[in-house]
Amino acid sequence: MTTRRAIALVGAAAVISLWLTLTAGGSSAWEITLRVHPWWAAVLVALLVALGALAVRAIQRHFREQQYSIRLAREKGFAEHHRFLRRLDHELKNPLTAILVAVGNVRDECSPAGQDILTSIETQTQRLSRLVRDLRKLAELEYAPLEEVTFDIREALTEAIALTQERADEDRRRLTLDTPESPADALLVRGDPDLLLVAIHNLIDNALKFSRPDDRIELRALREGHSVVVQVRDTGRGISELDQPLVWEELYRGENTEGIPGSGIGLALVQLIVKRSRGEISLESAPGRGTTVTIRLPEATR
Amino acid sequence: MGIPPKILLVDDEEAITSNLSQILVRSGFEVIVAEDGEQGLRLVESQAPDLVVLDILMPRLNGRQMLRTLRRQGNWTPVILLTQVGDAPERTMALSEGADDYLNKPFDPYELIARIQAVLRRVQPGLPPLSSARRIGDDRLVLDRTSRRVRLDSVDLALTPKAVAILEYLMTHADELITRERLLNTVWGWDYPVGERVVDTRIAELRRALKDDPAAPRYIETIPGQGYRFVGKVKPLP
Repeated sequence: MTTRRAIALVGAAAVISLWLTLTAGGSSAWEITLRVHPWWAAVLVALLVALGALAVRAIQRHFREQQYSIRLAREKGFAEHHRFLRRLDHELKNPLTAILVAVGNVRDECSPAGQDILTSIETQTQRLSRLVRDLRKLAELEYAPLEEVTFDIREALTEAIALTQERADEDRRRLTLDTPESPADALLVRGDPDLLLVAIHNLIDNALKFSRPDDRIELRALREGHSVVVQVRDTGRGISELDQPLVWEELYRGENTEGIPGSGIGLALVQLIVKRSRGEISLESAPGRGTTVTIRLPEATR
Repeated sequence: MGIPPKILLVDDEEAITSNLSQILVRSGFEVIVAEDGEQGLRLVESQAPDLVVLDILMPRLNGRQMLRTLRRQGNWTPVILLTQVGDAPERTMALSEGADDYLNKPFDPYELIARIQAVLRRVQPGLPPLSSARRIGDDRLVLDRTSRRVRLDSVDLALTPKAVAILEYLMTHADELITRERLLNTVWGWDYPVGERVVDTRIAELRRALKDDPAAPRYIETIPGQGYRFVGKVKPLP
Protein backbone atom coordinates (compact mmCIF):
# COMPACT_ATOMS: atom_id res chain seq x y z
CA MET A 1 0.00 0.00 0.00
CA THR A 2 2.77 2.49 0.95
CA THR A 3 4.71 1.65 -2.24
CA ARG A 4 1.59 2.30 -4.27
CA ARG A 5 1.09 5.60 -2.47
CA ALA A 6 4.69 6.57 -3.19
CA ILE A 7 4.32 5.68 -6.87
CA ALA A 8 1.06 7.61 -6.95
CA LEU A 9 2.72 10.67 -5.38
CA VAL A 10 5.68 10.58 -7.75
CA GLY A 11 3.27 10.06 -10.65
CA ALA A 12 1.09 12.96 -9.59
CA ALA A 13 4.17 15.17 -9.16
CA ALA A 14 5.42 14.20 -12.62
CA VAL A 15 2.06 14.94 -14.22
CA ILE A 16 1.87 18.30 -12.49
CA SER A 17 5.41 19.23 -13.51
CA LEU A 18 4.73 18.24 -17.13
CA TRP A 19 1.57 20.32 -17.08
CA LEU A 20 3.51 23.27 -15.62
CA THR A 21 6.14 22.85 -18.37
CA LEU A 22 3.46 22.96 -21.01
CA THR A 23 1.39 25.82 -19.64
CA ALA A 24 4.00 28.03 -18.02
CA GLY A 25 6.62 27.42 -20.71
CA GLY A 26 6.41 31.07 -21.84
CA SER A 27 7.47 32.74 -18.61
CA SER A 28 11.22 32.76 -18.11
CA ALA A 29 11.14 31.76 -14.42
CA TRP A 30 9.49 28.40 -15.19
CA GLU A 31 11.23 27.60 -18.43
CA ILE A 32 12.68 24.10 -18.55
CA THR A 33 14.62 23.13 -21.61
CA LEU A 34 15.28 19.50 -22.41
CA ARG A 35 18.20 18.82 -24.74
CA VAL A 36 17.79 15.11 -25.41
CA HIS A 37 17.39 12.85 -28.38
CA PRO A 38 13.66 12.73 -29.56
CA TRP A 39 13.63 9.01 -28.64
CA TRP A 40 14.46 9.81 -25.07
CA ALA A 41 11.83 12.55 -25.04
CA ALA A 42 9.26 9.99 -26.22
CA VAL A 43 10.34 7.57 -23.49
CA LEU A 44 10.09 10.33 -20.88
CA VAL A 45 6.60 11.35 -22.03
CA ALA A 46 5.47 7.71 -22.03
CA LEU A 47 6.87 7.31 -18.53
CA LEU A 48 5.06 10.42 -17.32
CA VAL A 49 1.77 9.25 -18.88
CA ALA A 50 2.17 5.81 -17.28
CA LEU A 51 2.87 7.38 -13.89
CA GLY A 52 -0.18 9.62 -14.32
CA ALA A 53 -2.38 6.61 -15.11
CA LEU A 54 -1.04 4.83 -12.03
CA ALA A 55 -1.83 7.87 -9.92
CA VAL A 56 -5.40 8.02 -11.19
CA ARG A 57 -5.86 4.30 -10.53
CA ALA A 58 -4.46 4.60 -7.02
CA ILE A 59 -6.84 7.43 -6.26
CA GLN A 60 -9.79 5.44 -7.66
CA ARG A 61 -8.76 2.43 -5.65
CA HIS A 62 -8.57 4.53 -2.51
CA PHE A 63 -12.15 5.73 -3.01
CA ARG A 64 -13.38 2.25 -3.80
CA GLU A 65 -11.79 0.89 -0.65
CA GLN A 66 -13.32 3.65 1.40
CA GLN A 67 -16.78 2.90 0.00
CA TYR A 68 -16.26 -0.81 0.50
CA SER A 69 -15.44 -0.32 4.17
CA ILE A 70 -18.53 1.86 4.59
CA ARG A 71 -20.64 -0.85 2.98
CA LEU A 72 -18.98 -3.50 5.09
CA ALA A 73 -19.75 -1.57 8.26
CA ARG A 74 -23.36 -1.15 7.17
CA GLU A 75 -23.72 -4.85 6.36
CA LYS A 76 -22.16 -5.73 9.69
CA GLY A 77 -24.74 -3.48 11.33
CA PHE A 78 -27.54 -5.30 9.48
CA ALA A 79 -26.11 -8.69 10.42
CA GLU A 80 -25.90 -7.75 14.09
CA HIS A 81 -29.41 -6.38 13.98
CA HIS A 82 -30.69 -9.66 12.55
CA ARG A 83 -28.77 -11.76 15.03
CA PHE A 84 -30.46 -9.76 17.73
CA LEU A 85 -33.89 -10.30 16.16
CA ARG A 86 -33.25 -14.03 15.92
CA ARG A 87 -32.24 -14.24 19.56
CA LEU A 88 -35.23 -12.21 20.63
CA ASP A 89 -37.39 -14.51 18.56
CA HIS A 90 -36.03 -17.64 20.25
CA GLU A 91 -36.25 -16.24 23.74
CA LEU A 92 -39.82 -15.01 23.33
CA LYS A 93 -41.41 -17.95 21.57
CA ASN A 94 -41.21 -20.53 24.36
CA PRO A 95 -42.72 -18.29 27.08
CA LEU A 96 -45.46 -17.20 24.65
CA THR A 97 -46.28 -20.83 23.86
CA ALA A 98 -46.31 -21.63 27.59
CA ILE A 99 -48.78 -18.79 28.27
CA LEU A 100 -51.11 -19.82 25.43
CA VAL A 101 -51.07 -23.45 26.55
CA ALA A 102 -51.64 -22.51 30.20
CA VAL A 103 -54.61 -20.30 29.28
CA GLY A 104 -56.03 -23.15 27.20
CA ASN A 105 -55.57 -25.51 30.12
CA VAL A 106 -57.30 -23.39 32.76
CA ARG A 107 -60.30 -22.53 30.54
CA ASP A 108 -62.37 -25.58 31.47
CA GLU A 109 -62.10 -24.88 35.19
CA CYS A 110 -62.86 -21.19 35.08
CA SER A 111 -66.00 -19.26 36.08
CA PRO A 112 -67.81 -17.15 33.45
CA ALA A 113 -66.22 -13.98 34.86
CA GLY A 114 -62.82 -15.63 34.66
CA GLN A 115 -63.45 -16.54 31.01
CA ASP A 116 -63.44 -12.86 30.04
CA ILE A 117 -60.14 -12.33 31.79
CA LEU A 118 -58.69 -15.38 30.07
CA THR A 119 -59.88 -14.11 26.71
CA SER A 120 -58.14 -10.82 27.30
CA ILE A 121 -54.90 -12.58 28.32
CA GLU A 122 -55.19 -14.74 25.23
CA THR A 123 -55.84 -11.79 22.92
CA GLN A 124 -52.83 -9.89 24.21
CA THR A 125 -50.60 -12.96 24.01
CA GLN A 126 -51.69 -13.55 20.44
CA ARG A 127 -50.98 -9.91 19.65
CA LEU A 128 -47.50 -10.26 21.08
CA SER A 129 -47.01 -13.52 19.17
CA ARG A 130 -48.05 -11.80 15.99
CA LEU A 131 -45.54 -9.02 16.57
CA VAL A 132 -42.73 -11.48 17.22
CA ARG A 133 -43.68 -13.38 14.07
CA ASP A 134 -43.85 -10.21 11.98
CA LEU A 135 -40.42 -9.08 13.15
CA ARG A 136 -39.04 -12.49 12.29
CA LYS A 137 -40.63 -12.43 8.83
CA LEU A 138 -39.17 -9.01 8.24
CA ALA A 139 -35.68 -10.29 9.06
CA GLU A 140 -36.25 -13.34 6.84
CA LEU A 141 -37.42 -11.22 3.92
CA GLU A 142 -34.03 -9.53 3.89
CA TYR A 143 -32.37 -12.65 2.44
CA ALA A 144 -35.09 -15.16 1.48
CA PRO A 145 -35.20 -16.08 -2.22
CA LEU A 146 -38.21 -14.38 -3.82
CA GLU A 147 -40.37 -15.30 -6.75
CA GLU A 148 -39.39 -13.15 -9.74
CA VAL A 149 -41.81 -12.62 -12.59
CA THR A 150 -42.40 -9.82 -15.07
CA PHE A 151 -45.84 -8.33 -14.59
CA ASP A 152 -47.88 -5.19 -15.14
CA ILE A 153 -47.90 -3.12 -11.95
CA ARG A 154 -51.38 -1.90 -12.92
CA GLU A 155 -52.71 -5.33 -11.95
CA ALA A 156 -51.36 -4.90 -8.42
CA LEU A 157 -52.86 -1.41 -8.22
CA THR A 158 -56.30 -2.61 -9.34
CA GLU A 159 -56.11 -5.46 -6.82
CA ALA A 160 -55.08 -3.09 -4.05
CA ILE A 161 -58.01 -0.77 -4.86
CA ALA A 162 -60.43 -3.71 -4.91
CA LEU A 163 -59.18 -4.74 -1.48
CA THR A 164 -59.61 -1.29 0.08
CA GLN A 165 -62.50 0.39 -1.79
CA GLU A 166 -65.21 -0.87 0.53
CA ARG A 167 -63.44 0.38 3.62
CA ALA A 168 -62.72 3.73 1.95
CA ASP A 169 -66.42 4.12 1.13
CA GLU A 170 -67.44 3.23 4.66
CA ASP A 171 -64.95 5.70 6.14
CA ARG A 172 -65.86 8.37 3.54
CA ARG A 173 -62.43 8.62 1.95
CA ARG A 174 -62.31 9.43 -1.75
CA LEU A 175 -60.07 6.73 -3.20
CA THR A 176 -59.05 7.17 -6.84
CA LEU A 177 -56.86 5.27 -9.28
CA ASP A 178 -54.97 6.96 -12.09
CA THR A 179 -53.01 4.77 -14.52
CA PRO A 180 -52.50 4.80 -18.29
CA GLU A 181 -55.51 2.94 -19.64
CA SER A 182 -54.53 1.42 -22.95
CA PRO A 183 -53.16 -2.14 -22.90
CA ALA A 184 -50.16 -0.85 -24.88
CA ASP A 185 -49.15 1.26 -21.90
CA ALA A 186 -48.19 -1.73 -19.81
CA LEU A 187 -46.08 -0.71 -16.81
CA LEU A 188 -43.88 -3.77 -16.60
CA VAL A 189 -41.78 -4.46 -13.54
CA ARG A 190 -39.90 -7.50 -12.28
CA GLY A 191 -40.43 -8.92 -8.82
CA ASP A 192 -42.79 -10.83 -6.57
CA PRO A 193 -46.32 -9.68 -7.47
CA ASP A 194 -47.78 -10.80 -4.16
CA LEU A 195 -45.23 -8.87 -2.12
CA LEU A 196 -45.57 -5.72 -4.22
CA LEU A 197 -49.32 -5.98 -3.68
CA VAL A 198 -48.60 -6.18 0.06
CA ALA A 199 -46.49 -3.00 -0.22
CA ILE A 200 -49.08 -0.98 -2.15
CA HIS A 201 -51.91 -2.24 0.04
CA ASN A 202 -49.94 -1.20 3.12
CA LEU A 203 -49.49 2.34 1.80
CA ILE A 204 -53.21 2.71 1.04
CA ASP A 205 -53.97 1.26 4.46
CA ASN A 206 -51.76 3.92 6.07
CA ALA A 207 -53.41 6.65 4.00
CA LEU A 208 -56.84 5.42 5.16
CA LYS A 209 -55.71 5.34 8.78
CA PHE A 210 -54.08 8.74 8.84
CA SER A 211 -56.80 10.72 7.09
CA ARG A 212 -60.25 12.10 7.95
CA PRO A 213 -63.66 11.79 6.27
CA ASP A 214 -63.76 13.55 2.86
CA ASP A 215 -59.97 13.37 2.49
CA ARG A 216 -58.66 12.24 -0.88
CA ILE A 217 -56.38 9.26 -1.47
CA GLU A 218 -54.89 9.05 -4.95
CA LEU A 219 -53.11 6.02 -6.30
CA ARG A 220 -51.10 6.71 -9.46
CA ALA A 221 -48.71 4.84 -11.70
CA LEU A 222 -46.75 6.12 -14.66
CA ARG A 223 -43.59 5.62 -16.67
CA GLU A 224 -40.72 8.02 -16.12
CA GLY A 225 -37.62 7.37 -18.21
CA HIS A 226 -36.64 3.77 -17.52
CA SER A 227 -38.60 3.65 -14.30
CA VAL A 228 -42.11 2.77 -13.30
CA VAL A 229 -43.36 5.16 -10.65
CA VAL A 230 -46.13 4.32 -8.18
CA GLN A 231 -47.45 7.05 -5.96
CA VAL A 232 -49.85 7.02 -3.03
CA ARG A 233 -50.91 10.55 -2.14
CA ASP A 234 -53.30 11.53 0.62
CA THR A 235 -54.68 14.76 2.04
CA GLY A 236 -54.53 13.37 5.56
CA ARG A 237 -52.87 14.50 8.75
CA GLY A 238 -49.28 14.26 7.49
CA ILE A 239 -46.09 13.38 9.34
CA SER A 240 -43.99 15.83 11.34
CA GLU A 241 -40.60 16.71 9.92
CA LEU A 242 -38.90 15.12 12.94
CA ASP A 243 -40.65 11.81 12.36
CA GLN A 244 -40.17 11.66 8.60
CA PRO A 245 -36.69 10.08 8.50
CA LEU A 246 -37.63 7.60 11.24
CA VAL A 247 -40.90 6.16 9.92
CA TRP A 248 -39.03 3.44 8.02
CA GLU A 249 -37.64 1.86 11.19
CA GLU A 250 -39.21 -1.24 12.71
CA LEU A 251 -41.49 -0.55 15.68
CA TYR A 252 -41.19 3.22 15.25
CA ARG A 253 -44.48 5.03 15.68
CA GLY A 254 -44.66 8.76 15.09
CA GLU A 255 -45.92 11.32 17.59
CA ASN A 256 -49.32 11.75 15.92
CA THR A 257 -50.18 8.05 15.65
CA GLU A 258 -51.81 7.82 19.07
CA GLY A 259 -55.18 6.14 19.09
CA ILE A 260 -54.56 4.58 15.67
CA PRO A 261 -53.94 0.83 15.68
CA GLY A 262 -50.71 -0.39 14.14
CA SER A 263 -47.59 -2.31 14.99
CA GLY A 264 -44.99 -0.03 13.48
CA ILE A 265 -43.97 -2.77 11.04
CA GLY A 266 -45.79 -1.54 7.94
CA LEU A 267 -43.41 0.99 6.45
CA ALA A 268 -40.31 -1.03 7.33
CA LEU A 269 -41.88 -3.90 5.41
CA VAL A 270 -42.83 -1.69 2.45
CA GLN A 271 -39.30 -0.31 2.25
CA LEU A 272 -37.79 -3.80 2.37
CA ILE A 273 -40.11 -5.10 -0.38
CA VAL A 274 -39.20 -2.14 -2.61
CA LYS A 275 -35.50 -2.65 -1.90
CA ARG A 276 -35.74 -6.36 -2.75
CA SER A 277 -37.44 -5.36 -6.01
CA ARG A 278 -34.39 -3.16 -6.79
CA GLY A 279 -36.47 -0.03 -6.36
CA GLU A 280 -36.37 3.14 -4.32
CA ILE A 281 -38.92 4.66 -2.01
CA SER A 282 -39.29 8.22 -0.75
CA LEU A 283 -41.76 10.19 1.27
CA GLU A 284 -42.88 13.80 1.28
CA SER A 285 -45.18 15.11 3.92
CA ALA A 286 -46.55 18.29 5.40
CA PRO A 287 -48.33 18.12 8.77
CA GLY A 288 -52.01 18.87 8.34
CA ARG A 289 -51.80 18.75 4.55
CA GLY A 290 -50.99 15.17 3.68
CA THR A 291 -48.37 12.64 2.65
CA THR A 292 -47.08 11.37 -0.69
CA VAL A 293 -45.11 8.14 -0.89
CA THR A 294 -43.30 7.46 -4.16
CA ILE A 295 -42.00 4.06 -5.25
CA ARG A 296 -39.66 3.94 -8.22
CA LEU A 297 -39.03 0.53 -9.81
CA PRO A 298 -36.80 -0.32 -12.77
CA GLU A 299 -38.91 -0.85 -15.88
CA ALA A 300 -38.81 -4.43 -17.20
CA THR A 301 -39.27 -5.79 -20.71
CA ARG A 302 -41.16 -8.91 -21.73
CA MET B 1 -64.75 -45.53 22.92
CA GLY B 2 -61.67 -47.37 21.70
CA ILE B 3 -58.25 -47.27 23.27
CA PRO B 4 -57.10 -43.63 23.58
CA PRO B 5 -54.23 -42.81 21.19
CA LYS B 6 -50.92 -42.52 23.02
CA ILE B 7 -49.07 -39.24 22.44
CA LEU B 8 -45.42 -38.70 23.34
CA LEU B 9 -44.61 -35.04 24.08
CA VAL B 10 -40.91 -34.18 23.77
CA ASP B 11 -40.00 -30.68 24.95
CA ASP B 12 -37.52 -29.40 27.54
CA GLU B 13 -39.87 -26.61 28.63
CA GLU B 14 -41.80 -27.98 31.62
CA ALA B 15 -44.23 -25.03 31.55
CA ILE B 16 -45.33 -26.18 28.11
CA THR B 17 -45.45 -29.96 28.61
CA SER B 18 -47.30 -29.91 31.95
CA ASN B 19 -50.21 -27.78 30.71
CA LEU B 20 -50.25 -29.33 27.27
CA SER B 21 -50.46 -32.88 28.60
CA GLN B 22 -53.45 -31.95 30.79
CA ILE B 23 -55.26 -30.49 27.77
CA LEU B 24 -54.45 -33.54 25.66
CA VAL B 25 -55.65 -35.92 28.37
CA ARG B 26 -58.94 -34.02 28.61
CA SER B 27 -59.25 -34.28 24.82
CA GLY B 28 -59.12 -38.06 25.03
CA PHE B 29 -55.42 -38.88 24.59
CA GLU B 30 -53.03 -40.78 26.74
CA VAL B 31 -49.86 -38.71 27.25
CA ILE B 32 -46.25 -39.47 28.10
CA VAL B 33 -43.54 -36.80 28.36
CA ALA B 34 -39.82 -36.71 27.58
CA GLU B 35 -37.44 -33.83 28.31
CA ASP B 36 -35.02 -34.33 25.45
CA GLY B 37 -34.36 -36.40 22.36
CA GLU B 38 -32.46 -39.15 24.13
CA GLN B 39 -35.25 -39.81 26.59
CA GLY B 40 -37.68 -39.45 23.67
CA LEU B 41 -35.99 -42.23 21.71
CA ARG B 42 -36.05 -44.53 24.75
CA LEU B 43 -39.77 -43.89 25.27
CA VAL B 44 -40.59 -44.50 21.59
CA GLU B 45 -38.95 -47.87 21.96
CA SER B 46 -40.45 -48.90 25.29
CA GLN B 47 -43.91 -47.31 25.00
CA ALA B 48 -44.61 -47.40 21.23
CA PRO B 49 -46.67 -44.15 21.12
CA ASP B 50 -49.15 -43.56 18.27
CA LEU B 51 -47.72 -40.10 17.60
CA VAL B 52 -44.82 -37.90 18.73
CA VAL B 53 -45.05 -34.13 19.26
CA LEU B 54 -41.45 -33.04 18.99
CA ASP B 55 -39.79 -29.73 19.83
CA ILE B 56 -36.71 -28.87 17.76
CA LEU B 57 -34.51 -26.92 20.15
CA MET B 58 -33.58 -29.14 23.06
CA PRO B 59 -30.43 -29.96 25.04
CA ARG B 60 -28.45 -33.17 24.40
CA LEU B 61 -30.28 -34.72 21.41
CA ASN B 62 -32.42 -32.12 19.61
CA GLY B 63 -35.68 -32.80 17.81
CA ARG B 64 -34.17 -32.90 14.38
CA GLN B 65 -31.54 -35.46 15.43
CA MET B 66 -34.16 -37.56 17.19
CA LEU B 67 -36.41 -37.56 14.12
CA ARG B 68 -33.50 -38.53 11.87
CA THR B 69 -32.49 -41.37 14.19
CA LEU B 70 -36.05 -42.72 14.27
CA ARG B 71 -36.42 -42.68 10.49
CA ARG B 72 -33.01 -44.28 10.01
CA GLN B 73 -34.14 -47.13 12.24
CA GLY B 74 -37.12 -47.55 9.92
CA ASN B 75 -39.49 -46.31 12.60
CA TRP B 76 -42.38 -44.43 10.96
CA THR B 77 -44.25 -43.35 14.10
CA PRO B 78 -46.01 -40.14 12.99
CA VAL B 79 -44.20 -36.98 14.13
CA ILE B 80 -45.43 -33.40 14.42
CA LEU B 81 -42.49 -31.01 14.77
CA LEU B 82 -42.76 -27.84 16.82
CA THR B 83 -40.63 -25.41 14.87
CA GLN B 84 -39.18 -22.33 16.43
CA VAL B 85 -37.84 -20.20 13.62
CA GLY B 86 -40.53 -21.07 11.11
CA ASP B 87 -38.57 -19.78 8.13
CA ALA B 88 -38.45 -21.46 4.74
CA PRO B 89 -35.31 -23.59 5.29
CA GLU B 90 -36.68 -24.90 8.58
CA ARG B 91 -40.05 -25.70 7.00
CA THR B 92 -38.40 -27.62 4.15
CA MET B 93 -36.13 -29.43 6.59
CA ALA B 94 -39.09 -30.52 8.73
CA LEU B 95 -40.70 -32.38 5.86
CA SER B 96 -37.55 -33.68 4.20
CA GLU B 97 -36.43 -35.27 7.47
CA GLY B 98 -39.66 -37.25 7.50
CA ALA B 99 -42.00 -35.27 9.77
CA ASP B 100 -45.71 -35.72 9.09
CA ASP B 101 -46.51 -32.10 9.86
CA TYR B 102 -45.15 -29.14 11.76
CA LEU B 103 -46.50 -26.28 13.80
CA ASN B 104 -44.79 -22.98 14.53
CA LYS B 105 -44.32 -21.84 18.09
CA PRO B 106 -46.18 -20.06 19.59
CA PHE B 107 -49.30 -22.07 18.74
CA ASP B 108 -52.85 -22.41 19.98
CA PRO B 109 -53.15 -25.75 21.85
CA TYR B 110 -56.43 -26.53 20.06
CA GLU B 111 -54.71 -26.10 16.73
CA LEU B 112 -52.22 -28.77 17.85
CA ILE B 113 -55.08 -31.11 18.77
CA ALA B 114 -56.64 -30.61 15.32
CA ARG B 115 -53.29 -31.43 13.69
CA ILE B 116 -52.79 -34.54 15.84
CA GLN B 117 -56.24 -35.81 14.88
CA ALA B 118 -55.64 -35.08 11.19
CA VAL B 119 -52.29 -36.91 11.16
CA LEU B 120 -53.71 -39.91 13.05
CA ARG B 121 -56.54 -40.13 10.50
CA ARG B 122 -54.15 -39.86 7.59
CA VAL B 123 -51.32 -42.24 8.48
CA GLN B 124 -51.18 -45.88 7.61
CA PRO B 125 -49.37 -47.57 10.48
CA GLY B 126 -45.80 -48.59 9.74
CA LEU B 127 -45.63 -46.82 6.37
CA PRO B 128 -43.70 -43.64 5.49
CA PRO B 129 -45.86 -40.49 5.47
CA LEU B 130 -46.97 -38.97 2.19
CA SER B 131 -44.76 -36.02 3.04
CA SER B 132 -41.66 -38.15 2.55
CA ALA B 133 -42.74 -39.82 -0.72
CA ARG B 134 -41.08 -38.52 -3.87
CA ARG B 135 -44.07 -39.01 -6.18
CA ILE B 136 -47.66 -38.85 -5.01
CA GLY B 137 -51.09 -38.81 -6.62
CA ASP B 138 -53.50 -41.17 -8.36
CA ASP B 139 -53.74 -42.69 -11.84
CA ARG B 140 -54.55 -39.29 -13.42
CA LEU B 141 -52.86 -36.58 -11.33
CA VAL B 142 -49.18 -37.04 -10.46
CA LEU B 143 -46.99 -34.67 -8.45
CA ASP B 144 -43.25 -35.26 -8.62
CA ARG B 145 -41.97 -33.44 -5.56
CA THR B 146 -38.29 -33.55 -6.48
CA SER B 147 -38.58 -32.17 -10.02
CA ARG B 148 -41.55 -29.97 -9.01
CA ARG B 149 -43.56 -31.26 -11.99
CA VAL B 150 -47.28 -31.88 -12.12
CA ARG B 151 -48.86 -34.15 -14.75
CA LEU B 152 -52.53 -34.56 -15.48
CA ASP B 153 -53.47 -37.45 -17.79
CA SER B 154 -49.78 -37.74 -18.77
CA VAL B 155 -49.54 -34.07 -19.80
CA ASP B 156 -47.17 -31.68 -18.01
CA LEU B 157 -48.97 -28.69 -16.50
CA ALA B 158 -47.46 -25.21 -16.67
CA LEU B 159 -47.76 -23.96 -13.10
CA THR B 160 -46.03 -21.24 -11.12
CA PRO B 161 -43.77 -22.48 -8.28
CA LYS B 162 -46.27 -21.19 -5.72
CA ALA B 163 -49.14 -23.10 -7.33
CA VAL B 164 -47.05 -26.30 -7.22
CA ALA B 165 -46.24 -25.66 -3.55
CA ILE B 166 -49.94 -25.17 -2.73
CA LEU B 167 -50.89 -28.36 -4.55
CA GLU B 168 -48.12 -30.22 -2.70
CA TYR B 169 -49.35 -29.02 0.69
CA LEU B 170 -52.99 -29.80 -0.12
CA MET B 171 -52.14 -33.26 -1.47
CA THR B 172 -49.88 -34.22 1.44
CA HIS B 173 -52.71 -33.11 3.77
CA ALA B 174 -55.54 -34.67 1.77
CA ASP B 175 -59.00 -34.69 3.40
CA GLU B 176 -57.89 -32.04 5.88
CA LEU B 177 -59.42 -28.56 6.01
CA ILE B 178 -56.58 -26.14 5.26
CA THR B 179 -57.21 -22.50 6.10
CA ARG B 180 -55.92 -19.72 3.87
CA GLU B 181 -53.82 -18.51 6.78
CA ARG B 182 -52.11 -21.89 7.03
CA LEU B 183 -51.43 -21.97 3.28
CA LEU B 184 -49.97 -18.48 3.46
CA ASN B 185 -47.66 -19.30 6.35
CA THR B 186 -46.52 -22.51 4.71
CA VAL B 187 -46.17 -21.53 1.07
CA TRP B 188 -45.58 -17.77 1.19
CA GLY B 189 -43.99 -17.59 4.61
CA TRP B 190 -46.14 -14.59 5.58
CA ASP B 191 -49.78 -13.79 6.21
CA TYR B 192 -50.23 -10.08 5.67
CA PRO B 193 -53.74 -8.68 5.21
CA VAL B 194 -53.88 -9.14 1.41
CA GLY B 195 -53.34 -12.85 1.92
CA GLU B 196 -56.81 -14.22 1.32
CA ARG B 197 -57.03 -12.69 -2.11
CA VAL B 198 -53.54 -13.82 -3.01
CA VAL B 199 -54.38 -17.43 -2.05
CA ASP B 200 -57.65 -17.38 -3.97
CA THR B 201 -55.89 -16.16 -7.12
CA ARG B 202 -53.46 -19.10 -7.02
CA ILE B 203 -56.20 -21.62 -6.26
CA ALA B 204 -58.05 -20.32 -9.33
CA GLU B 205 -54.85 -20.84 -11.37
CA LEU B 206 -54.59 -24.43 -10.07
CA ARG B 207 -58.22 -25.18 -10.82
CA ARG B 208 -57.90 -23.91 -14.38
CA ALA B 209 -54.85 -26.11 -14.93
CA LEU B 210 -56.48 -29.14 -13.30
CA LYS B 211 -59.74 -28.50 -15.20
CA ASP B 212 -61.44 -28.70 -11.81
CA ASP B 213 -64.96 -27.32 -11.51
CA PRO B 214 -65.36 -25.51 -8.14
CA ALA B 215 -69.06 -26.41 -8.13
CA ALA B 216 -68.31 -30.13 -8.51
CA PRO B 217 -64.66 -30.49 -7.49
CA ARG B 218 -62.67 -33.59 -8.28
CA TYR B 219 -59.58 -32.22 -6.49
CA ILE B 220 -59.92 -28.93 -4.63
CA GLU B 221 -63.03 -28.22 -2.63
CA THR B 222 -63.83 -24.78 -1.17
CA ILE B 223 -65.08 -24.76 2.41
CA PRO B 224 -66.95 -21.42 2.50
CA GLY B 225 -65.55 -18.95 5.00
CA GLN B 226 -62.83 -21.39 6.09
CA GLY B 227 -60.46 -22.61 3.42
CA TYR B 228 -59.81 -25.52 1.10
CA ARG B 229 -59.71 -29.28 1.19
CA PHE B 230 -58.09 -31.73 -1.22
CA VAL B 231 -60.75 -34.33 -2.00
CA GLY B 232 -58.89 -36.47 -4.58
CA LYS B 233 -57.23 -39.77 -3.68
CA VAL B 234 -53.55 -39.46 -2.84
CA LYS B 235 -51.10 -42.32 -2.44
CA PRO B 236 -47.34 -42.69 -2.71
CA LEU B 237 -46.33 -43.67 -6.26
CA PRO B 238 -43.27 -45.66 -7.37
